[in-house]
Amino acid sequence: MMLDFMRNKVVNVAHLDSETLGVHGVLDDSIYSLEIDFKVNISDLVCSSVVGRWLRWTTPQCPQALDFLAEANGFSLAEGIDSTIHKTIGRRACRHFANLFIECAYAVREAVKMLRWQDAAKSEPGLSLKEFLERDPAVESPIPDPVEGSEVVKKSSSQAAKPSVGVVSTENEVRKAVDGFIIDLHMHTSPASPCASDSADAMIEEAKRIGLDGVCFSDHNYVWSAEAIKALREKHDFLVLRINEIVTEQGDVLVFGFYEDVQGIIRLADLKKRVEAVGGFIVAAHPFRGFLTFGADDVGLTSEKAMAREMFKWVDGVETLNGKVTATENGLAHNVAEGLGIPATGGSDAHDISTVGTYATSFSKPINNEVELLAALKEGKCHPVTYR
Amino acid sequence: MSNNILSFSMNRSTSVEKVDDTCLRSVCRLRDGFTDAEVEIEVKMPDLEIVAISGFLRHAYFDEVKDLDGCLQKVIGVRVGSGMLKIIKGLMGEDENLDQLVYMVEECCHGIILTLTKKVLLKAPDDEAGKFAFYSEMVKKSIRLYDRCAGFAKGTPLVAEFEAEKYGGPA
Repeated sequence: MMLDFMRNKVVNVAHLDSETLGVHGVLDDSIYSLEIDFKVNISDLVCSSVVGRWLRWTTPQCPQALDFLAEANGFSLAEGIDSTIHKTIGRRACRHFANLFIECAYAVREAVKMLRWQDAAKSEPGLSLKEFLERDPAVESPIPDPVEGSEVVKKSSSQAAKPSVGVVSTENEVRKAVDGFIIDLHMHTSPASPCASDSADAMIEEAKRIGLDGVCFSDHNYVWSAEAIKALREKHDFLVLRINEIVTEQGDVLVFGFYEDVQGIIRLADLKKRVEAVGGFIVAAHPFRGFLTFGADDVGLTSEKAMAREMFKWVDGVETLNGKVTATENGLAHNVAEGLGIPATGGSDAHDISTVGTYATSFSKPINNEVELLAALKEGKCHPVTYR
Repeated sequence: MSNNILSFSMNRSTSVEKVDDTCLRSVCRLRDGFTDAEVEIEVKMPDLEIVAISGFLRHAYFDEVKDLDGCLQKVIGVRVGSGMLKIIKGLMGEDENLDQLVYMVEECCHGIILTLTKKVLLKAPDDEAGKFAFYSEMVKKSIRLYDRCAGFAKGTPLVAEFEAEKYGGPA
């Protein structure tokens, strides 16, 4: 036996004074080595004096991450803070610092439970930890949230929502010479998709500006009402359609002509039965989306092996051009769709206006509504295109 | 209070080893003031599909999780990949007593990803100029890296070539 990789994380929480904890976290693995130190106010779990230190890192730019760790000052480390840490520390500094910070937050919450129980046990000898926690829910309940309203979080959100200067020009772009009726079949809007940063109105305006013929909102496990879509269509005088990107145990799928509100994770085989019952259509979304530094090709996934995946027993089509994956991964999806002889689609997977229309789907005739869209997909009268 | 005695301490260790040419095993262990837990997964290459899982959880302030093994087995067949966290959480359920176990399954998966990442990073040259070129090329190959952290933030040196090719200049 020989280890290929090891990651050790140690977090220590010390009681500095009656109001303050001192936290020291270390992450040391085969690739990275880093440390965090900060203080936490026991009464509200708000942290301060956050500093980090690199011991080993990878890119020449990694040291810059330290400058952004101060954004965690003011965070309350109550339950539910993890996603904020991912979005701020993880995205602006480094995901490995975020990973360690999340461990520190967990350790702080546990430490506070321990301290409060020990305090209570002084006046009530014999009080077990379990009894204490059962009768004092305040110990575990989220503390009133200074995080969402904090300047740090607001600043980061507004920056995320800002369109990328240089990506979207203020002048109208000339429509690319792409044949057919062009619809971006995969895009997300805020707030329907928590990961998206621009509104439905903004996404539609951008699609119009770059000359698309229509858009299809594919928000995650979210069903747009027919009335809302109709109102958007009338407001912008533009083709707006709705589908649903549903998470299954096999990965994400785009579902057309199916308007049930599916929450949580559904087995793809079960979803297929329900979609088939109403005459819908399922497309495998970005089926070979890889990782940050390596893709499906790097782990030796061939078209033949990929085609044998369970997922492809249940889908009717494959998204072979997706704006969030690499050319190699799109190429593999193309080979699978071709090998299986099923329709292929394209979509930007845009989460903000800067990438609307990077890829789209070309239809051989105009589409006016979701019924016609469904029919065109089933007949295979479409193909993915690079648009922007 | 300042007696330098710790109030709480935790130690989480994740290790990955090769079972054979087509399978990796990832083990995550946690020991802290309240918890003693372990999760082990086996992942089949090249699909990175979880083909085996086991684990235990002993905890100071909540009861034993009923049918813990049954809960873990729900993630068999899930592929280590983008979107896996949502899938793992969704399949294992929302019971808050399972939070740590869910997190440890994720850590096992991250261990697999980092093992494969390490293989890519070992190809980076030793000298600074070579490293710079290597990582500049990496972001051009994988758009997902762009603006994902301080190292690849918009307008920074490592993404300059990518931005020039993609947008004609700094974003």
